[in-house]
Amino acid sequence: MSGTHPGADPVGELFARRTDPVLDLAGQAEDVARACHAMAVRFHRGGKLVVFGNGGPSTDAQHVAVEFVHPVIVGKRALPAISLTADVATVTGVANREGLAEVFAHQLRFLADPVDIALGISSDGNCENVLRGLEVATELGLLTIALTGGDGGRIAGTPGLDHVLVARSADPRVVKEVHVTTYHVLWELVHVFFEQPGVLAPEVVA
Amino acid sequence: MAPERSRAHTDEMAALYPFLYSETSDLDAVLEQVRRSTVDKANEIVELRDTVLERDGAKLAACAEEMAASFAAGGRLLAFGNGGSSTDAQDLASLFLSPAGAARPLPAFGLTNDIAVVTALSNDIGFDVVFARQIAAFGRAGDIAVGLSTSGNSANLLRAFDEAGRRGMVTVGIAGYDGGKMSELDSIEYLFVVPSPSVHRIQEAQTTVYHALWELTLAALEPVSEG
Repeated sequence: MSGTHPGADPVGELFARRTDPVLDLAGQAEDVARACHAMAVRFHRGGKLVVFGNGGPSTDAQHVAVEFVHPVIVGKRALPAISLTADVATVTGVANREGLAEVFAHQLRFLADPVDIALGISSDGNCENVLRGLEVATELGLLTIALTGGDGGRIAGTPGLDHVLVARSADPRVVKEVHVTTYHVLWELVHVFFEQPGVLAPEVVA
Repeated sequence: MAPERSRAHTDEMAALYPFLYSETSDLDAVLEQVRRSTVDKANEIVELRDTVLERDGAKLAACAEEMAASFAAGGRLLAFGNGGSSTDAQDLASLFLSPAGAARPLPAFGLTNDIAVVTALSNDIGFDVVFARQIAAFGRAGDIAVGLSTSGNSANLLRAFDEAGRRGMVTVGIAGYDGGKMSELDSIEYLFVVPSPSVHRIQEAQTTVYHALWELTLAALEPVSEG
């Protein structure tokens, strides 16, 4: 549908642009499974999920937090999660005093515990404050997970991060859609591990 | 939110992951099941988007034309939803107001952004009026109201659409399942229903619907802004 007559079918072209990037996520299924298992281990030990991002991904951070705290599927237990984008007083206060690059790192230093999980979301992988947040999280001993897009950007090239999932598209809207599917899958499959505590026991994890 | 929860989903999970009910604790087996489940979900959302395009492709183009006409005439966009859909509403509003790159910024408000207003209305009157009262305060004829709900049954959305309709706003509903009570309203001019039994896949395709509306609206506005 796309490519034959540019502009002839803009709606069809727009939808077609979504297909390959989400199928590419399926190609990263092994990484997704490993990330879910690692997250489940942290929750099992009493950790919480801490999520952050800028612009559109700031709303994704809040979406992920509500997904875990208030599951839409009956019978799934609530798991602790917070977004670092919801406290406008702190975000604007830190940005004003220290600069935007420190808004997530600052909150992580004072709100996160070493057992926690840091999930940073950046459409192009180049958000300075998301990178700073993930670096501080690494220093503190958190499990670090990044959802990025495009070519993965600087975040994908940062050594020491535990799991980096890249939505392969140059269109930030398509990247966002792949991220929504990714964090829905992370939520659902964390519960799959969580309900099978045998696979979370230290001897299995080690 | 209750209608969005379903016991059927729990049963579905049990069928998908039978090992949960066995005694095995074989990590590799669980990882393999989880890996396969990830592939299945990616395939599901691709199919669902195809269905949305087939059902609503022409309606998306028509809706975007009307939204562009509204913006060109000085209209503003007001977006609203609950829970996960509130984050979509905020994302949608911010996409219009603060797009990256060369895209033209347009006036848009997310009605869940102001916690003081939302909690004041909820505490003093009730949660059902949180969006309708804001629309009554801000909304003008020719503005655009976009409400998102996976169930289509959120009481505060139903009241918001009726208020927006009374005020002569362009009304756009984005729902899931069979459209729920939103599909029974006369006050929704453009209703997009994402037909899936999964609340997650519904939200993913709803994101595509509002991204499409944004992109098509901007494309329709280009001749206006340059003329």
